[in-house]
Amino acid sequence: MRRKLLTCFLLLFSVLFSKVIDAQTVTGKVISSETKAPLQGVSVQVAGSNVGAMTNSDGEFSIDVPKGSKTIEFSFIGYKPQKVAVSNSPITVSLVPGANELTEVVVTAGGIVRKKRELGTAQTSISGATLTEAKAVNIAGGLIAKAAGLQVQGTTGGVNPNYRIILRGNRSLTGNNQALIVLDNVIVPNEVIGNLNPDDVESLNVLQGAGAAALYGSKASNGAIIITTKKGRSGSTSVRFAQTETVEHVAFFPVMQSRFGQGGSSYGYDSNGFPLFSSIENQSYGPPFNGAIVPLGVPLEDGSQDSTKYAGNDTRKDFWQTGLTSQSDFSLSTGDAVSTLYLSGQYASVKGTTPKDKFNRASLRINGTRKIKDGKLNATYSLGFTQNNYNITTQTLDIYNNMLNMPSNIDITRYANWQTDPFANPNGYYNPWYLNPYWEIDSYRQTVRNNYLVGNVQLTYSPTKWLDFTVRQGMTYESQYNKNWNNSFNYTEYAKAASSNSKSDISAGVSDAVNQSTNLLSDAFFQIHTKKNSFSFNLIGGGQWNQDQYKGVGVSASPLVVPDLYNVGNLVGIPGASESNYLARTMGVYGDFRIGYKDYLYLHVTGRNDWTSILPPNNRSFFYPSADISFLASSALKPLQNSNVISYLKLRAGVSKVGEVNLPGTYGAYQLQRTFSQQAGFPYGSLPGFGLDNRLVSDNLKPELTKQYEFGFDLNLFQDRITSSVTWYHSTTSNQTVSTGISSASGGSSYLTNVGETMSQGLETDLHASVFRNKDWQVRVGGNFTYLDNKVLSINGDLINQIALASYGDGSGSYAKAGYAFPVIMGFDYMRDDQGHVIVDANTGLPTKDPNLKVLGNAVAKDRLGLDFNVRYKNLTLAGLFEYRGGYVMYFGGGSDYDWAGTGIRTTIFNRGRFVFPNSVYEDPSKPGSYIKNDNITLTDGNGNAGFWTDDLNRALSANYVSSGAFWKLRELSISYDLSSAVKRSKFIKSATLSLQGRNLFVWLPKTNFYTDPEYSEVAASSNGVGITGISSAPPSRYYGATFAITF
Amino acid sequence: MKNILYLTVLGIVTIFGLGSCKKYLDVNSNPNSATTSTPELILPQALTSTANVVNSYNTMGAELGGYMANAGGYGGFGSAVTYSFGTGDYQGLWTSTYDNLTDYQWIITHTEGDLNYGFYNAAAKIMKAFDFQLLVDTYNDVPYSDAFQEKKNLTPKYDDAKAIYDSLYALLDNAIKTINDAQADLDNNASSSVKQFSNNDVMFGGNMDNWKKFANTVKLRLAVRARGILTFNNQYDPVGFLTQDAEVNPGYQVASGKQNPEYNTWGYTYTGATGNRAWIPTKWIASFYNGSKLDDYRGYAILNGFATPSTFPVNQLGYESNSVLSAPSAGGWITPYEDKSNNIGVLKGPSAPMQIITAAESDFLQAEAALVGGLGVDADPKVLFYQGILDSYKYVYRLADGSYDLSSWDPQADYQAYLDLNPDSYLVNFDLATTDAEKLEAIITQKYIAMNMVNSDQGWNDFRRTGYPKIVNGSTSGTATFASLQSVSTRADKLPARILYPTSESSYNNENVPKDVNQFTSRIFWDPE
Repeated sequence: MRRKLLTCFLLLFSVLFSKVIDAQTVTGKVISSETKAPLQGVSVQVAGSNVGAMTNSDGEFSIDVPKGSKTIEFSFIGYKPQKVAVSNSPITVSLVPGANELTEVVVTAGGIVRKKRELGTAQTSISGATLTEAKAVNIAGGLIAKAAGLQVQGTTGGVNPNYRIILRGNRSLTGNNQALIVLDNVIVPNEVIGNLNPDDVESLNVLQGAGAAALYGSKASNGAIIITTKKGRSGSTSVRFAQTETVEHVAFFPVMQSRFGQGGSSYGYDSNGFPLFSSIENQSYGPPFNGAIVPLGVPLEDGSQDSTKYAGNDTRKDFWQTGLTSQSDFSLSTGDAVSTLYLSGQYASVKGTTPKDKFNRASLRINGTRKIKDGKLNATYSLGFTQNNYNITTQTLDIYNNMLNMPSNIDITRYANWQTDPFANPNGYYNPWYLNPYWEIDSYRQTVRNNYLVGNVQLTYSPTKWLDFTVRQGMTYESQYNKNWNNSFNYTEYAKAASSNSKSDISAGVSDAVNQSTNLLSDAFFQIHTKKNSFSFNLIGGGQWNQDQYKGVGVSASPLVVPDLYNVGNLVGIPGASESNYLARTMGVYGDFRIGYKDYLYLHVTGRNDWTSILPPNNRSFFYPSADISFLASSALKPLQNSNVISYLKLRAGVSKVGEVNLPGTYGAYQLQRTFSQQAGFPYGSLPGFGLDNRLVSDNLKPELTKQYEFGFDLNLFQDRITSSVTWYHSTTSNQTVSTGISSASGGSSYLTNVGETMSQGLETDLHASVFRNKDWQVRVGGNFTYLDNKVLSINGDLINQIALASYGDGSGSYAKAGYAFPVIMGFDYMRDDQGHVIVDANTGLPTKDPNLKVLGNAVAKDRLGLDFNVRYKNLTLAGLFEYRGGYVMYFGGGSDYDWAGTGIRTTIFNRGRFVFPNSVYEDPSKPGSYIKNDNITLTDGNGNAGFWTDDLNRALSANYVSSGAFWKLRELSISYDLSSAVKRSKFIKSATLSLQGRNLFVWLPKTNFYTDPEYSEVAASSNGVGITGISSAPPSRYYGATFAITF
Repeated sequence: MKNILYLTVLGIVTIFGLGSCKKYLDVNSNPNSATTSTPELILPQALTSTANVVNSYNTMGAELGGYMANAGGYGGFGSAVTYSFGTGDYQGLWTSTYDNLTDYQWIITHTEGDLNYGFYNAAAKIMKAFDFQLLVDTYNDVPYSDAFQEKKNLTPKYDDAKAIYDSLYALLDNAIKTINDAQADLDNNASSSVKQFSNNDVMFGGNMDNWKKFANTVKLRLAVRARGILTFNNQYDPVGFLTQDAEVNPGYQVASGKQNPEYNTWGYTYTGATGNRAWIPTKWIASFYNGSKLDDYRGYAILNGFATPSTFPVNQLGYESNSVLSAPSAGGWITPYEDKSNNIGVLKGPSAPMQIITAAESDFLQAEAALVGGLGVDADPKVLFYQGILDSYKYVYRLADGSYDLSSWDPQADYQAYLDLNPDSYLVNFDLATTDAEKLEAIITQKYIAMNMVNSDQGWNDFRRTGYPKIVNGSTSGTATFASLQSVSTRADKLPARILYPTSESSYNNENVPKDVNQFTSRIFWDPE
């Protein structure tokens, strides 16, 4: 099929090639009328066509004007647009500050360039410069808080943090909610965004709503982020080098107690009634610190005894090291009348905060354009290759957890030399239950290499002024090599006996996996654009073919024979092996029609039909339409045309319906039939044995349907000194594809079917103001605010009203629950009276656990506020970005562990003594059912490793570990100095910049959250089960660094 | 004009594309997993899964029934020592048994009425009855008649436990008849195409007489347990009851997921790491070996460290203190034989077969039936009683490879020694048991000992049904009762009556799951007040 198509296109183009039409190249320079300084990034567009260019850092441009075109339009943010006649000699254009919104163009769905004023749906453009202001290695990190409606959540720390990117809240209960990523008009897997060189990004356009993105097909129901990489500039050549060095420090630790050390009541009590010290105990329920030297662990075989000062210390923090990120950039941009070329390379190397964790990433890119046949045929191509390498320990969680469990009188940094120091060696390490973190770091490793090749070629043929044909082939190729291994350790008989056999031998293992995937996306469409009287028409029609293919194999072996040889061949027994293959295809045809009236009223309708391979044949075809309208009041209405206050006012509204196929598994392939697999250890030798897998599947699976409407306005005041944008949207998603649990007695344990409906609605606002502007000073402040109301309307009637998205063993966790916010934290609380007081036993003072799982709060921020400022004085620029999120809770699952360990700060709030349970009541013995305020009945045992704090009555109460998720963060702060004037005398150097920047510099949390960064998540970024934070990666970091960039 | 031509060409391309659309999209057949199967492929896996199920029930029975206590060095036992069960406790029993039953039901559905697959059909029915008895003995009412309807009924109703017992008995009769019919066809019809088991019968290697014995024994198990409540036909296939241990061995070996499940849980994993060491034997069970109640060489074979009483790690359930000994490095039940992969005792080795029903249990079931009469077993209870003890010795002393080391571990000799060491106890010397109650106590107590870490759940079932071995209600002595010291039980014996229905049932089948089930007061139908 694909081959036939290709043949057809070749045929088509051999016909089209025969036609030749001339074009003319126009060059020139754009400056500011105010400062006379060259303006970079000015949009240069041939009037009435899609031919456009941008000015370079010297304000220069070069553009090929098709024959017949007479006017070139110049537009730039903060300046009034200008039209200039085509001329043969270089032209200089002087732009006047003021409104520009009328002509500013953005890339929209399908790679179609549109004037902003035509758009009836919300979108936010972010320039490459804004994105890289704070030099985040990952583009997602640079996007945080920069657009209303966009939620970027840094779910982990580590050498290459993961981000969850969501537009307008969650729609799918258990399916994909992440925004579609489009790179140079080609849909790419989400991982690609983290593996792009941020410096390659020219601009990034956020299409918040499903309607705006509908042309991208069924994956667009989550909105889209359209990334356009840089192109070479006609008429000038520049070479840029930049070097960035960034230091990373651990910024936040859970608050732990440092008053009591190792021991507990099971060792007895001293004369003061404090539990006794124990040299081997891991729980911190011993006596208060007294500064004495005490033994640690048991004597070694040679009789030597480890010891420690019985005092709290901070070495758990010292364990983490200073991370260092080094980023080197190179780029070349050039172009002439017929072609442009952009080349770039970047190498980033990261040394993590976890000792010995390393990561590096190398990226290469080549982008080009070429005009053929006098501009009638335009070819563009872009090819990016990225390779990254991880060399990290797999035990960061375990190490972090161990250290948070560890009594604070232990100086963990003393145990770094486990090879030579007998007390640090696993045999002699003081703790029989937990491994020495330094040994773990050396003994549990993972190396991962990822390769990404993302490219596309595009041909556009414009036989006449009103008609274009475009074909485009995009490809993403990914491959991954993944190796995990761990070392063995055989304890001495003495060490085993001395630890009561708690130390038990560890055997070595290795696993190795290779996988690769290829995503192909073919597009072919035509575009007709014409004008008649006061009306303009634009019609697009086309087809799209998408194929995703995956192949993975993995092997594993344990135990191993030869020490330190981590190869599957080096094993005892039988290796584990696995293979998986996936193939999914989608094709779609679409139409897009836009009609404009007098440049102030635009109506736009789209329709698309998709056919997908992964649904049952009777449901595989589905159609979805969208419509939007844009009305430029400031151009249409007389009073506004001449207003001195209102310089721009656009009213817009849109409505859309988009279907998304959200079957589980890779690409959703092969989910329609019940499967059989070898279970219970089969095969045994030559004997096979199969069993039924546990998932039942509905015969009638359908796509999830998202219906969305939005309306809003864009308003600029005082010659665009104040810009604002407000959007309200409402969206419902029905036919949720969910794998719900079912009674095992029915013959399966889960059932994949369409049930339930979700809703999200919210407000997206943006306000920026140039509060002061003159020759030397420029002060711009602003921000965006997002309100999100995200709910589960229904799941499956009476049968199932909640789904655990991510939960712990006792059932507490992140849930989708009908009638509640999506998602909510559910967990266990105490029995309470009507006023919410905890009911305690009148004799023991002990509370009672409510056995029912209760909703403890919504897990996703309702309110988000980003505040940014940019102050420029001559060549010095100071920029910053604050972010607030609030109106939600987080659940720190690790809290219970630290109360068990006695290191948790909660365990000392009553000084380890008897106490009255706070805010409690007890039942009136004379009047059952009524309650008396408790201010005298104390809990008998507030201490010891069998007291209240280690009891289930404390630790099994999830509510004890749920706190407000609110925070303020200083996300970005940068100071840059433009050295251009200093180097102007040089003939070679065009510009130079020196900047200092920091990210996540400060975080302000409410007092109740002494645990961790509320953004963190115990689950993968792709999971909807947000809100349960933990310590599954290295602690949160702050970053600060410096960049020097020079352009020749 | 030319433009129209271009549009036409594009139109043709599009239509051409749509024409091939179906072929382009028909790529959704699964290359990773099978979507069809056969009884030949399902049966060995299902039998091996039953072995895993039996291992899980053994764990539950050992924890609740007095065989196991919390070990030193571990904490957080929670409901395992307080009996304040939640719906999450032991919920794996429910799901794994129904999962296993789903496979048997698949075989039954796909072979019903097909004489050629008679053996497969019968074996699946026999195992279905076996599995369902485990469920009923644990949960009482469970979904039976509505179960396995898949999409047709996602919320199956619960059937009365007694009615299920009745159905299981009939199912076993049906299975025996099916075997006999298929066997007759094989014997009498030269062109018979009845499919015989090959090496895929991982329990009996294709011996259909053993399958019928197994069915007879399960019937007897049902009848004995429901005695006085339900009445059955008490007719058995003449082949009789199990005289050898019914064991599953698909070819267990040292590899991930391929080891004997009980050894894998309590012994060593395939990497050589020790298994679960959070539990050690109880003082209670030790008292039946160390002379405190009875003297028994089997103690040396089963309990790790038994030979040195001063350091022998035992505990009383619920006693949590720093002084509690931790499990030996090889765990509590790998003893003393040099070769841990070819051992005696209850954890014989990674490749040892997994016991499903032992001959000893069959003997004691018959002994009880003979003693009480009316269950179709006409024999001398005393003979069967002693046979049971001997078969237990034979089981415990047998090495993983099936052989015996008669120089050190001669079951016959030590059985004789057992009788000689305990001449004054009617629990061993059957003649001293004068009343039927004492005789029953002797039979059940010996069965309880024989079930120690073999099928501990059967020991727990018998205790709940008969009250044997006798305990002293409310005692805090670890040899007088096996109830946990931290028990919150409201009962006089401080024990639970059952575990609770799993969370998944209250979540997904809430309309049908019995309400107000209490772990102390809701008894299994055969459990007297």
